Amino acid sequence: MSLESPKNYGENDFRHIVTIWIVLSVVLDVLYWFLVGPHVPPGRMTSTAKDNQLDFNVLFVIALPVLIGVWEWLAFAGLRWNSKRKDAPESVGGPSAAGKRSAEWSWIVITSVVVLFLAGFGTVELYAGNGSGGGEGPNPIQQPAGAVRAETAAIQGTGSWSPNSNEVLPVQVIAQQWKFTYRYPTFGGFESPFLILPNDTQIAFNVTSLDVIHSFWAYQLEVKADANPLENNVAFTKTEQLGSFEVRCSELCGIWHGAMFNSGKVVSQSAFMNWATSTETKNAQNTKDLPPFAWTYVPDANGAAGGYYPDGNVTPYSTVEIYGSKQPS
Amino acid sequence: MTTSAAAPSDVEKATSGAEDAPRTTGHGWLSQHVGTAIVGGFLGYILGHWLGNYIGSAYPYIANSGQNSLAVLLALLFMVAGWLLGIGALNYPLLKIVGREAKPEVEHVGWSKYFRYNLDHKVVGIQYVVGVLMFFFTGGLLAMAIRTELLSPTVHVFSADTYIKIVSEHGTIMMMMASSIVVGPLGNYFVPLMIGARRMAYPRIEAFSLWTFVAGYFVIFSALFFGGFPTGWTGYAPLQTQAGPGMISYLFGFAVISVGMIAAGFNLAATIINYRAPGMTWSRVPIFVWSIIATAALLTLASPVLLAAGLFGLLDKTAQTAFYVTEHGGSSYLWENLFWFFGHPEVYIMALPGFGIVGEILPVFTRKPLFAFRIAAAGMIGVALLSFFVWQHHLFQSGINPDMRPLFMLTTELISIPTGFIFLVGMGTMYKAKIRYEVPMLFCMAVYFNFLIGGISGVFLSDVPVNVTVHGGFFVLSHFHYTIMGGLIFAFFAGLYFWLPKMTGRTMNKKLGLWHFWTMFVFFNLTFFPMFIIGLLGQPRRVFTYARDLQTLNDFSSIAAFCLGASFLIFVANLMWSQFIAPQKSPANPWDSLGLEWQTATPIPPYNFERIPVIMTDPYHYSEVGAPALVDSGDGPPVHASSFVASSTDPDQ
Amino acid sequence: MTDMIKSSQKMSDTPEEREFELRAHIGAIWSGGRLFIGIYTFLLAALAFSYFYLRSSNNGLLWRPDHVTAPTAYGWTIYTLVLLAALMAIFGQARLRKGSVSEWQVAVWVGVAASLLALFLQVWEFTAVPFYPGSSGYASTFIGYSVINILTIFIVLYWLETTVARSLRMNKEIGGVAPQLSMHPSAQSFRANVASMTYFLGFVALASTLLFAMFYLL
Ligand code: HEM
Ligand SMILES: [Cu+2]
Ligand SMILES: [Cu+2]
Repeated sequence: MSLESPKNYGENDFRHIVTIWIVLSVVLDVLYWFLVGPHVPPGRMTSTAKDNQLDFNVLFVIALPVLIGVWEWLAFAGLRWNSKRKDAPESVGGPSAAGKRSAEWSWIVITSVVVLFLAGFGTVELYAGNGSGGGEGPNPIQQPAGAVRAETAAIQGTGSWSPNSNEVLPVQVIAQQWKFTYRYPTFGGFESPFLILPNDTQIAFNVTSLDVIHSFWAYQLEVKADANPLENNVAFTKTEQLGSFEVRCSELCGIWHGAMFNSGKVVSQSAFMNWATSTETKNAQNTKDLPPFAWTYVPDANGAAGGYYPDGNVTPYSTVEIYGSKQPS
Repeated sequence: MTTSAAAPSDVEKATSGAEDAPRTTGHGWLSQHVGTAIVGGFLGYILGHWLGNYIGSAYPYIANSGQNSLAVLLALLFMVAGWLLGIGALNYPLLKIVGREAKPEVEHVGWSKYFRYNLDHKVVGIQYVVGVLMFFFTGGLLAMAIRTELLSPTVHVFSADTYIKIVSEHGTIMMMMASSIVVGPLGNYFVPLMIGARRMAYPRIEAFSLWTFVAGYFVIFSALFFGGFPTGWTGYAPLQTQAGPGMISYLFGFAVISVGMIAAGFNLAATIINYRAPGMTWSRVPIFVWSIIATAALLTLASPVLLAAGLFGLLDKTAQTAFYVTEHGGSSYLWENLFWFFGHPEVYIMALPGFGIVGEILPVFTRKPLFAFRIAAAGMIGVALLSFFVWQHHLFQSGINPDMRPLFMLTTELISIPTGFIFLVGMGTMYKAKIRYEVPMLFCMAVYFNFLIGGISGVFLSDVPVNVTVHGGFFVLSHFHYTIMGGLIFAFFAGLYFWLPKMTGRTMNKKLGLWHFWTMFVFFNLTFFPMFIIGLLGQPRRVFTYARDLQTLNDFSSIAAFCLGASFLIFVANLMWSQFIAPQKSPANPWDSLGLEWQTATPIPPYNFERIPVIMTDPYHYSEVGAPALVDSGDGPPVHASSFVASSTDPDQ
Repeated sequence: MTDMIKSSQKMSDTPEEREFELRAHIGAIWSGGRLFIGIYTFLLAALAFSYFYLRSSNNGLLWRPDHVTAPTAYGWTIYTLVLLAALMAIFGQARLRKGSVSEWQVAVWVGVAASLLALFLQVWEFTAVPFYPGSSGYASTFIGYSVINILTIFIVLYWLETTVARSLRMNKEIGGVAPQLSMHPSAQSFRANVASMTYFLGFVALASTLLFAMFYLL
């Protein structure tokens, strides 16, 4: 570089930047896509994990050239456009330095196109992925075939699931300070302290809370849905691999929020069937003592709003029964 | 030129006799100052507490429960009122009731003016520096405590209870601080100087904003004495409803802060709109001022929603309404929506002023005009407008109406277009310049480096499918630290190093400045970058324990965080050394800036400009042969921008 | 405010500078008034949002069981009084423009009295509310509305009272000329303040109508 005469110092900077940028972007993008991409958390255990990994990778492959471009620019500013370089020419001001139509417009157009593409892509993926494993509230719109049927049957107590039936399996997640429990409405509504799921099955998680807001985050399953009191927050995924997974609370819910985690397992359909039916019978007595299965439950007296009234009246003023009043339409 | 050089007594003579109006603040230590404010706050606290307990004693559930939220609320309310009364903020509003107008304030000379309800925007600016640093270092110490706890998943330094208090207090204090850290000190100090104004439109409201801001500090800090609050800075109900009286400090603290934010934004907007010097058309308004007016719009319009949300929360906790109590006809989603309707504009309150600083400083060190000035200004206005339409991206997984998710994904991604303009502007300005890498310039470069990561991670977050992975985890944590700390705080330090010579007439030590910069930059990235990975690997936010295999990354981050904390000690040392211990007189215009703020004398005369300047052009005509003159300063031939030195405007020299 | 404009008049030594300062000052009162309306709109919008949000969620069918309603007699009276204050300010300003200061003053004093009474009633209404604050969504938002309305009426009262009190003291200062005629800076500042206040009161009248309808009629 020192051979450059001051006159044409920096003349080729832009060309160099672009060349380096293209080379680096292509190389790093390709390396990322093939070497890193397939290992991006949380893995490929479910349909949503796979889909969302794809989304992440697409975003990353677009983001990487942006990062490289700007950083390269900063590097050039530091190394080449630096007053410490005695051979560098003085800055040039004037109207030509104060703006350049073509640069401005191409910037606006390119960023807009990228951003609109991402929004479109995200939306398509959201629908294709049946809500991508995120909580959709009580009336989901992005959902797998058969979900409405299975959910309706579940709340009416007529649901059934068996291996190879291809039915959606509704599972209820009940969060409370500071633990998760799970109920299986298709198996008599028994309750389990850990989550067992059959492989190759569409699962409909129905997440609710008994007190404050929690968030059900089944990490490897790529499911995340806030648990709100008196609301049934539904999320879908399809299990595709055997293995165990972790469940954490990802919404601050008080003192022991950090300790609110447990784990679960995806097992074969027949193993699940065995477990479910045997637990159903084993727990039959306990299940009777539980409130009847419902999408939401009135918080208990020790919950967030329990003992709220100074006169000690902890029943809500409601004239109607809340149990089961909210069902997916 | 009577006023600029006048001793206090002259001012008094000049202004007295016009009428028999009383003064709102007096002389000496017997008059009102911080001391009387503290006394007032203390007495107010006791009175309010007593009153609350008196009322509570009628209710057996509350009396002697130690959980009397009403007593806490009234104590804090009266404390703030007493504080404002004590400092003298209420003198004028009270005088008005009997139709009186106050006499012009006595001008306090020397140190004591910084401890009073001062109406000079330059004094308020300095007071704000102290105020925000107080917030910042308190929050910073709490951050060190958080990182200490996270050194190990199994060995605990704090109890789970204490830990959650620390996290909540840290987040809230920092958010309160960040919404004022640029607008308060630098906005108040430099906006009038940059637009050629001799005063603020509403100096009392400006001073009021400062003193409420400081009161907010005491209120939020008081939470620790009431058992803290467990909700984090987001204060979600029903956890909020369930929490103890510390929650009152949070709710009322945010209410106080939001009143201060409204006041600050109100005054700045009115000033910028009306007090621009003749000739200062909107296309000549410096980019920093553009950023401040965009921020002022957000401050004034978003904060009232927080105020209302806080009021409803307080009513839930004291009058036992049920705004946020789902089972009694309220809704926990109501808080989420109100909070984030404020919350997202709030995050741009914490970004735009930083963009403004960077835009202001780059041309000075590149010696080039600001590239695509109009686009920069348009981008800021665009961001401000759009920021009211994206709030539900914080609620993607919460169970909101699923139709909303594609919509808010779209608006959120759209906002990155105007945000991206700031990169176009920066890169265009740097292009083929001969850049001087002084400390402020380095901080600006760091803003670009960091904010790029912050912004891009924001685009990841706004993609609903990816949001499923990263929401509620350390990825989000890293995202907003990259934008707020990496963007705004770095920009604040850029501005401080850049403008302190103007504010105090003393230069910061460059060597220490470089040390401060490099340690802060390196350790900031080492602290927060691993958090992206930690988040992707599944660590939720606000936890005191985590998966064992994440310990290495967490320890790495913690140790970097301690070093990051230490880097601020370098800053403090530099500040002490170069401002107080061995002050070095700064040249009048150390960076050779063309900005109007540098064209007035140092120290700045009480009314900023001897004459109201007449603006001829925008202040970015660097390296331009035959550039138009910046100002027509009244007497003498116009001075050409390219040869401008500050002292030439000062007719006394 | 007028003391501020006085001091800035003193620091300026040319007529042009004084003119500039005065115009900026008047402009600030104008834009300050509008901005304040903006601020207040967002505050009230948050309340209205809460109202409609809870109404449409109707959680536990507890939005408004048995259609409980706050005491409408209080509601009507308060609303009428606020409207009266606003009308008085608007009417008064028209008279002021025509040159009658005393008519303006009388109108504003009536406004002061009306808002004072409204303030008292709005507080006193709490004793007559027939439902428990937390008994329903409506009950909660009603309490929130009452508190915000106390603030609104207080602002109205304060602004009216300080303006009229100021006008009484101003005569001497501007040399006995009626403030609507004088070009004295204080008088100009005063008129700008009256204009902003009237505009705000018009806004309050409108907002009160909507909120009154929401909470008492709907
Ligand atoms: C390109 C622009 C940006 C985009 C697209 C963006 C997007 C997002 C999204 C989608 C979230 C929600 C994440 C979640 O909880 O799931 C988020 C969170 C957040 N963002 Fe940004 N953001 C941007 C810029 C900024 C800026 C400039 C700031 C502040 C200076 C900021 C501060 C925050 C904060 C504080 C949170 C987290 C709040 C919390 O949960 O405690 N963001 N951002
Ligand atoms: Cu939790
Ligand atoms: Cu946001």
